Amino acid sequence: MKIEILFPESCNLFGDMSNMRYLKKCLPEAEFLETSFDMEPVFLTEPVDLVYLGPMTERTQERVLAKLFPHKEKLRELIESGAVFFFTGNAMELLGSYIETDDGRRIDCLNLFPFHARRDMMHRHNSTFLGSFQGKELMGFKSQFTFAYPEGELTGLFPVKKGVGLNPKCGFEGIRSHNFFGTYLLGPLLLLNPDFTRYLLSCMGAETAALAFPEEMEAAYEARLKDFLEKT
Amino acid sequence: MKRNLRFYFALFFAKGTALVLKLIRRKGTSMPGSWAIILCPDFLGRMPRPKTVIGITGTNGKTTVANMVEDVLSDRGYDFVCNRSGTNVNTGVASALIANSTFFGKPKKDLAIFELDERSSPKILPYLKPDLLLCTNLFRDSFKRNAHIEFIVDILNGYIPDSTRLVLNADDLLCAGLKPENPRAYFSIDQMSSDGTECHNIVRDITSCPECGGKLSWDFVRYHHIGRAHCPACGFHSPEAQYRASAIDGENHRMTVCSGDKSREFPLPNQTTINVYNSLSAIALLSEFGLAPEEIAASMDKLSISATRYSEEEVNGRKVILHLAKGQNPIACSRAFENIRDYPGKKAVILFLDDYFDAAHSVENTAWLFDTDFEFLRDESIVQVIAAGARHWDVALRLLLAELPKEKLSHLRENQAAAGELHAEQADAVFILYDVYTIALANHVKEQVKEILAGLPEKGEETAHEN
Repeated sequence: MKIEILFPESCNLFGDMSNMRYLKKCLPEAEFLETSFDMEPVFLTEPVDLVYLGPMTERTQERVLAKLFPHKEKLRELIESGAVFFFTGNAMELLGSYIETDDGRRIDCLNLFPFHARRDMMHRHNSTFLGSFQGKELMGFKSQFTFAYPEGELTGLFPVKKGVGLNPKCGFEGIRSHNFFGTYLLGPLLLLNPDFTRYLLSCMGAETAALAFPEEMEAAYEARLKDFLEKT
Repeated sequence: MKRNLRFYFALFFAKGTALVLKLIRRKGTSMPGSWAIILCPDFLGRMPRPKTVIGITGTNGKTTVANMVEDVLSDRGYDFVCNRSGTNVNTGVASALIANSTFFGKPKKDLAIFELDERSSPKILPYLKPDLLLCTNLFRDSFKRNAHIEFIVDILNGYIPDSTRLVLNADDLLCAGLKPENPRAYFSIDQMSSDGTECHNIVRDITSCPECGGKLSWDFVRYHHIGRAHCPACGFHSPEAQYRASAIDGENHRMTVCSGDKSREFPLPNQTTINVYNSLSAIALLSEFGLAPEEIAASMDKLSISATRYSEEEVNGRKVILHLAKGQNPIACSRAFENIRDYPGKKAVILFLDDYFDAAHSVENTAWLFDTDFEFLRDESIVQVIAAGARHWDVALRLLLAELPKEKLSHLRENQAAAGELHAEQADAVFILYDVYTIALANHVKEQVKEILAGLPEKGEETAHEN
């Protein structure tokens, strides 16, 4: 099994690399390929079981876009053919149509999905999110300068139960297309949500893989959910 | 900015508030400054500033360094205004200036020393226009408040006045690159035996050349992005420092600092690397202010690190150590964990890492735990780790991900009961890590730990029996 982490030297904010550290514990035999900026992505030339891209700074978003633009059609083809992609934080925005900056500038994005993002660097949004995935509750954290606005038909990843979706008026968080999973939820999303992690592993063809630290993970999930429902 | 009616109304209202607070014996509040800024949003710009203003900012160490600088200046007989008992944001600065002013706002003292929150720079620096600004270092901090380091660097570059002379950390390329056109002096610690060529931390926020974007080559790495680097592609390199700590004598609590062609010994209140940087940056700042090295050294001899940040006590041959580990700050906690690993002997560790306010009212964003180097705690010398608080399961999970053996891990929700989990007989030292808002809890648990240690045989005797 091959897992490709794109540009980990820069796209590593908000503890999100823990998702990959956790997958290494669940899939000890898997090969983790770290593709830095000076390399070409492996998924362009050989099959990869998961492509991961984590959150990044605003300037890095433009660097990553420049790197991915030549491969836009290949990305589209892979997504449509069911290849597994997991993009967290503002990495998801790169697949929309554009990002609008504070000063009204438009940064063209890959335009693979019908949405755009709007930045407000003076107001950071922080919240805790409760949604659902396949009928099970899912929790996560948001800390971001942007919101995303659908422009057409878009399938959400997590319907909102409590908290804020792609934007304060949107009923869902994240984007799902075939096996592309994109979400603004940050940090150790896979460690936070055992059921979602099992699902992602099954999409990757690792249905039989056992979760690492399953008891602690379930207990942490239950305690977090209980606190959230009681305190907020 | 000119003083107008609105300014005077805000000033008088704030002074009245300060008077009421004094009458009801409430100290250290930023309420007068808060009112002044509510009533006159550009109050800081209209308030007359002292003749000389020194600012101290940066992600970590600014409180410790500000305290050192103030203590040295007090010892040398300087009279100044500072925000030591208040906050380091705009309201704290305004409160300090109001307290230091005459009825119509004229400063009573000619010198101001302010610890400044880097995130609050837009609301302070353009108005206060510091003559001298020290930046200790720049790292990832609270995700919620500071987002990422590029955001903070952009803020500082956007709001540090062009006229401000900077004192910067040459071993931190993010810090060293601030406002390249401003006059500046750098400080640096020469290569140490513990430095390496590879980074062993999770977070490293600069890997490419700030000039050409090429991959940096590291001459040595101290921790995270602290170290010295050069770019093979364009020749860029870490700047040369005017103040260099060239030798550290931990046993005698001294360090040698070279400046120009002279070198001199200075006292070192605490020899952990972050505290060497803290002392060195204070020396550089005070030198740039105009104090002679012998004056600085003589006054620093009387200093110690504030007991609210670090304290050691001994009970029956075992140590109880309180160590501040700022919550939601992955670098501050990583440094604390490395200090524990490097402390001599066998250690037990009690962790109070929850954010005090989030634990009471919501669910804390635990993402920061995963940028923090818990891996330092899996060292063989650490015999037990106890995680307590609302998010104890999350901390336990993080420790397991760091490969801490399960048998060394205890965790519980009830903070006050943490000491009950302690297997103190195995340890030479018990560390209690706490956040700035949980000092009372840490002190309470420290007393419980001391009672437990008092009930154990004397450490030396026990060893003799074993032998």
